[in-house]
Amino acid sequence: MSVRARRTLVLAAAFLALVLAAAGAGGLRAATRPNAEQVAQGLTCQCGCGLTVANCNMPTCSFSVPTRTHIQELIDQGKSQVEIIGFYRRKFGEKVLSSPTTEGFNLFAWITPFGALLIGVGLIIFTAHRWRRVPNSSSPEPAPPPSDAPAFDPELRRKLAEDLRKGG
Amino acid sequence: MPDLGRLALAIALLLAIYSIGSNVYGARRSHPEFIASARHALWAMCAMVTIAVVALWTGLLTSDFSLEYVASYSSTTLPTAYKFTALWGGQQGSLLFWTWLLSIFTSIAAFLNRRRNQEIAPYAMAVLAGVAIFFLGMLNFVTRPFDLMAVIPAQGTDLNPLLQNYWMAIHPPSLYTGYVSATVPFAFGAAALLTGKLDDTWIRTTRRWAIFSWFFLTLGNLFGARWAYEVLGWGGYWAWDPVENAAFMPWLVMTAYLHSVMIQERKDMLKVWNLALIGLAFSLTIFGTFITRSGVISSVHSFTQSGLGPYFLGFLIVVVSGYTGLLIFRAKALHSPAEFESYLSREAAFLFNNLMLIGIAFAVFWGTIFPVLSEAVRGVKITVGPPFFNRVAGPLALGLIFLMGVGPLIAWRRTTASNLVKSFAAPAIAGVATGVIALAAGLRAWYVLTAFSLAAFVLGTIVVEFRRGVGARRHMLAETAPKALINLVAKNNRRYGGYIIHIGVIVAFVGIVGSSFFKTEVKKSVREGQSFSIGAYQLRYLGLSAFENAHMETATARLEVSRGGRVVTEMAPAKLFYKREQQPATKVAIRSTPFADLYIVLAGLDQNGQATFEVFLTPLVFWLWAGGLLMAIGTVVVMWPNVRERAAIAVAVRGAAPVSIAGDPAPGQ
Repeated sequence: MSVRARRTLVLAAAFLALVLAAAGAGGLRAATRPNAEQVAQGLTCQCGCGLTVANCNMPTCSFSVPTRTHIQELIDQGKSQVEIIGFYRRKFGEKVLSSPTTEGFNLFAWITPFGALLIGVGLIIFTAHRWRRVPNSSSPEPAPPPSDAPAFDPELRRKLAEDLRKGG
Repeated sequence: MPDLGRLALAIALLLAIYSIGSNVYGARRSHPEFIASARHALWAMCAMVTIAVVALWTGLLTSDFSLEYVASYSSTTLPTAYKFTALWGGQQGSLLFWTWLLSIFTSIAAFLNRRRNQEIAPYAMAVLAGVAIFFLGMLNFVTRPFDLMAVIPAQGTDLNPLLQNYWMAIHPPSLYTGYVSATVPFAFGAAALLTGKLDDTWIRTTRRWAIFSWFFLTLGNLFGARWAYEVLGWGGYWAWDPVENAAFMPWLVMTAYLHSVMIQERKDMLKVWNLALIGLAFSLTIFGTFITRSGVISSVHSFTQSGLGPYFLGFLIVVVSGYTGLLIFRAKALHSPAEFESYLSREAAFLFNNLMLIGIAFAVFWGTIFPVLSEAVRGVKITVGPPFFNRVAGPLALGLIFLMGVGPLIAWRRTTASNLVKSFAAPAIAGVATGVIALAAGLRAWYVLTAFSLAAFVLGTIVVEFRRGVGARRHMLAETAPKALINLVAKNNRRYGGYIIHIGVIVAFVGIVGSSFFKTEVKKSVREGQSFSIGAYQLRYLGLSAFENAHMETATARLEVSRGGRVVTEMAPAKLFYKREQQPATKVAIRSTPFADLYIVLAGLDQNGQATFEVFLTPLVFWLWAGGLLMAIGTVVVMWPNVRERAAIAVAVRGAAPVSIAGDPAPGQ
């Protein structure tokens, strides 16, 4: 692969990682017309169940049950998803959010996985480049690749017949 | 019995210590009698741990409340089956169970390698004994299952109601089996590093162990998901809870390992990477146990929390630093000439497949530990829940699915654009057609459209592979199509079993996407005789019946379910109340069809006879479990004894040059 092609691949990978990160973090932005389920998915139940307010199904839960009702009331009052979630954040702190915000230190939560992926792509390209410079003379692989051969070329046919005979 | 259990655990610890010394001395000084003695010590250790397990089971089954463990996790009213499963229902018992599995697998590995792999097997046994020493040390000195009560109570506290479910009888044992059996390939990898015998002998010797571990990790995760689906009553099966994540990460890494070892077997490449992966897989099993038991991260599995965290963290640090040190020490020897011709090759597809799997594992790890990091750096507690994991891991999963389709169809070394077009034309058309049909059917979510298209594409590639193989057999041997198909799989079980696993993964993936994106929910309070509807179903509340025994009270609601005016079934969700624990629980009613699950929770009952139901209609979730079954079938096919493979292993362990086995070792076996 030429230097240019490799550079293009790296740039494409970087672009892909940015798009993926944006797609991930972008999901945090509020929808214009929230529904209660959507908002409740953005909040973590504080009863210790570890589920979101939408998913905590303890009938007597002292947090999720009143919160779901309250969310519906706030929606009926015309509050947006950002406003409702902001209200709960002010009241209980960041721990009530079901995913990290996209600001400050929390940005690392979103960027790091895709950044690591990008580094992985870079490592593969770097390693592959090194491997290509050091051809392996002791490779057990027989010569040319079969991939471009016709589906039933004579050599393949002979090997297949032999293999099938051996294998029964 | 308690004395016997304590004594057995103490002797087991001494035997494990002796086994390390004897194995290492015997191997270093070439004294086979010491190695044999160490092997016998490991078998005796297994016998001792078995005695301890039987002693604890006896205590549980006879309600011997003089034992603190029995008093804490059982009661006289607990059904016998759950007295049996209470062995892994609490801290000490589950560690004992873990140690028991470890001792069994160690004994089997010692037996299988008693006459082969003499260069690395003694060291592998020493590593296994080392791991056993940690667990036996915990059981003897830190968290003792045979501690006695100061005052013997008349009744026990009982098992956590959430664990009184038949899935709990098989979920923890499956997961533990997966976790613990990963120790064997890790031990052989570590032994290869210790001895410097770095060819692929350790991989071939432990290939079945790795698949076995992967198989049980798969089952363990699926059973856990099914348990959550039936017991937690929120209509879902996966909440990205830290402990779920802890079980998922080793599965991802083990999947990456099973793919990347094929490159080493075939091309003698990725030696460091494979050793690193198996070390990582084992470390993640310990990390998972650390998370479950430390309470560092809040989790729905808090019933196993304890003060054991520092011990597991210490052990984890020792394992990771020791293993990494060995890898660095052997770095030069691990360097092997490698060749890479093209990004359009199977090697490249496998490399990127590994990247995706490890990328997802890292994303899950990162999300799991980020709350701890946040608290350490900012002093602010935050939660990283399902929305984060879905948004981060979701796109990566699409990449992985795409590579699942690409990998098997392209050749080793390189393939040309024209061959690529020839191989992928039909699957690509299937993928695009599926997307267009889904779009025409009204689906608009980009993720769903992409996921379904990719699923069709991958299934298309697998069909192409089967068609090619069957066609070749029919052409060469004039077999009928069914016979050719059976023989194709039987003679190349590793390759085609892998394809069956891939089909299972795709089927499960479709189930996950469908159930995640199209779930609908209705919450309704009704009186007897009143009806409500969800989707095409009408539900009529028929009434309530109550049942009580010494253990629990049950209130069961009956609902008549109709569709299009025709009664299709009657369903009976219930509320349970456990008397000993004074804790309510839910018994959901599920009607499962390939199209959708109707899932009913009896959410509440009031004094006026009004019942509140939470009802979910979850499309395609059936296919998650069906995919799991296919994955299990595929794994059995992959593991089926293969004469040619056995011969290849025999040659490899005798020190001959590596040979190709069982045809082309293809996909995810």
